[in-house]
Amino acid sequence: MNAGTSLAAPGASPGPRPPGVVMRLARMGAAHPTRLSFLRVMLRRMEQEGWEFERSVWQIDNCGVGRAVYRAIGPERCYSLVAFAHDLPEEMRSDRVIATAWDATFALFDGTPDEADLDRLQANVPLQEAGRISPRELSLSRANRSVRLWAHVVESLAEGRQPDADAIAATGYLMRTTAVYGSGKFGAADRRDIAARPELAGPFQAEMLSVWLTRQFTVDIVEHLATAKGGAAAVRLAPGIRHSLGVGNSTGLGVAPFLVRHPMLLHNWTAAREEALARVRALGAATPRAVAALRAAHAEACRNAADWRSEDPAQTARLADLRADLRRIGARLKAFPGDGPRPWDAIWLWGERELSLEGQEQLFALLIEPHGDLVDELADRMSVEEPVAVRIDGAMQLGTLREILRDRYGWALAIDFTRPENAARFWYVSEDKLEPRLGDRASDAGAEREQPLCIARLASELDAALEVRDAGETVAAFLLHHPEHRFMVRRTQITARQPYAEVRDNLVAADMRPIDLMRCKLAFFGANRFDPRSDRWVRISLFQGAPYPLEMKRAGT
Amino acid sequence: MRMEPDSPTRAGAADSGPPQLAVLSRNEIEALCARAARGAGLGWGHAEEAGFAVGWLHAQGIDGATALLAHLDGAAGRAWRDLCPVVGPGKWVARGRHPICPLALGAALSDHCELPEGRLAGGLSVSSASHPVLVLPFLSRVAGILGETVRMRFFCGAIDIGCDRLSGDAGLLAGLVEAAFTLSPRPGPAGAGHSHAGGYPQATLSALGDLALRTTVPPSARSRADAGAGTGDND
Repeated sequence: MNAGTSLAAPGASPGPRPPGVVMRLARMGAAHPTRLSFLRVMLRRMEQEGWEFERSVWQIDNCGVGRAVYRAIGPERCYSLVAFAHDLPEEMRSDRVIATAWDATFALFDGTPDEADLDRLQANVPLQEAGRISPRELSLSRANRSVRLWAHVVESLAEGRQPDADAIAATGYLMRTTAVYGSGKFGAADRRDIAARPELAGPFQAEMLSVWLTRQFTVDIVEHLATAKGGAAAVRLAPGIRHSLGVGNSTGLGVAPFLVRHPMLLHNWTAAREEALARVRALGAATPRAVAALRAAHAEACRNAADWRSEDPAQTARLADLRADLRRIGARLKAFPGDGPRPWDAIWLWGERELSLEGQEQLFALLIEPHGDLVDELADRMSVEEPVAVRIDGAMQLGTLREILRDRYGWALAIDFTRPENAARFWYVSEDKLEPRLGDRASDAGAEREQPLCIARLASELDAALEVRDAGETVAAFLLHHPEHRFMVRRTQITARQPYAEVRDNLVAADMRPIDLMRCKLAFFGANRFDPRSDRWVRISLFQGAPYPLEMKRAGT
Repeated sequence: MRMEPDSPTRAGAADSGPPQLAVLSRNEIEALCARAARGAGLGWGHAEEAGFAVGWLHAQGIDGATALLAHLDGAAGRAWRDLCPVVGPGKWVARGRHPICPLALGAALSDHCELPEGRLAGGLSVSSASHPVLVLPFLSRVAGILGETVRMRFFCGAIDIGCDRLSGDAGLLAGLVEAAFTLSPRPGPAGAGHSHAGGYPQATLSALGDLALRTTVPPSARSRADAGAGTGDND
């Protein structure tokens, strides 16, 4: 939705929020999806470019076993979701990464697969990590049914009636993905090889397309099974219910370290968001169209918050805060825009003073929503080809490096790591499918194999090493003597250039909540209905309320 | 049968059989080599450099993974001071009787390229580097920084390296266990020598996988429980 822009108000414009405010775990863990979220970016492109969609293969039997292909046809290229439906025994259904079988498995194919491609994929995709795909594939994923909802929906539709609205609202999806792999994983195409394509240049666009097409598959197969069971008596899902269903996602610790391992990406994602807010705050007026769009976005956020369920005590309390904050925002909107010089800045500053972090980050999403023409192009800045080893500036003097360290990592240097609670945890990779996990340093084995996610402590150790060196010495000479600091020197130089590159909290502290990292990343994806199942396991929903591919534009029509 | 959870090439289909050469994506070989280098004892920073080096060679159609494995095997147990170069203007030498680690050397060449000790104008000689093909990616980085082509001369050939390409006798260099060489800038771009990435011997990948496993922690009942939902996930 574009609601027009206004000239910036005179005087100094509000700048982006500083990293010390933005990059704190508590705030990252309150992130909400915005119009710059990756699934929104993908949907906009597909709509603007007139992509067409078709279900070109549907070979599913009455037990729900078989294969299907969905094609997304763009102006230059086409992509196909190849779906395999399985008959999974109840006892084998698990969302854990250590699972070995799923209700459905998927690959996103580059182009249109022929029978030989489908046979090759059928031999590998159902095995997931134990199989191999090829550079013709862009992603590999799987999904499990919602046991709560699946049987109820199939039976209801088979008997000619719609499923219970409360049951639909309580779950919000028919299937949830439990992993979506891209970027060269298990033999898939390297991101470098496809990143020049405009439709895949943005972050996670292939993965988003895969999940969106998966959403179509979930409603198609549930209706197929209802028809198989009920015959002529069966009915299709009512449009309103279809619209409200998303694709669930069940995510564990695996996604948490991503933001730490990709500092340049984290910076670009965050810098784009913060620039968007700064641009909106700088506006000198609010057009009636923008005000109407803001009120509509607020109404939608209220509906979302009302339907958002969680049994997690912390999230339940936050949801209460959010609902209360949305009421306050609603009251504040009655007097919006008022007659001040910068109405958007004024409401933002009011929110910073008055709202919880949940409420503030919700307000962030609301304020940029009416301003697509002002902020949508920022999505083009969110990608970066991040090399596995960024070049180090060896000519930099240690005095300069230490100044940067003190400026960018002052929060870390203030932590006393001799206190057990400040080094209570350690991140490690388990032999089980190489998944990241979090250990207790005092009681768990394996701390000697700690992953370098303890950034604050590494910064502290680098600072201690620099303290006894000559400030005029070069980084190159220092690293010849201290190879153990190469990792942290590189990060420090990255963060000097890209200040949002680092999470500014101690990631091995006793009170650190991994789900804060997870929510931040998932909000960038566009996920909502964040529902923690523990402090390191979360359910979310994607594409709820969005159109379905086959509703957008059918091929040949 | 021994499981190899770190091998990215486990065949999926039961009838596909183990290939002689396994084709990996650049992402996969980078990740595997970085983990293997760390598992072999390198610091995280140099482990990242190992991933970068093998990934760059992969894009040039050169198997750097086998060279990396051979180097890591040969250098096992050696202290850093026996692996890193002694740096001086125009001449870099090994500290002891062993050749210089190509990752330590390459990283140091990249770090020093804008400093007097790393200046290539006038020539820079390197006494002897282990598996010198692994130095080429770092010279590509130097070429990118300096905006020049770097020429490496060794006893049986020469290679021109640009920021994303190389030409010359890279095949000969890839076969050398160690070599002395000289580096100098050369005007003009390196010739196009780009070729498609080939495959990797299963034995190489398996051995690198074993090294990479040293960065992982065996699962315990507690860690498995901690990794999942606090409640059942089958709903």
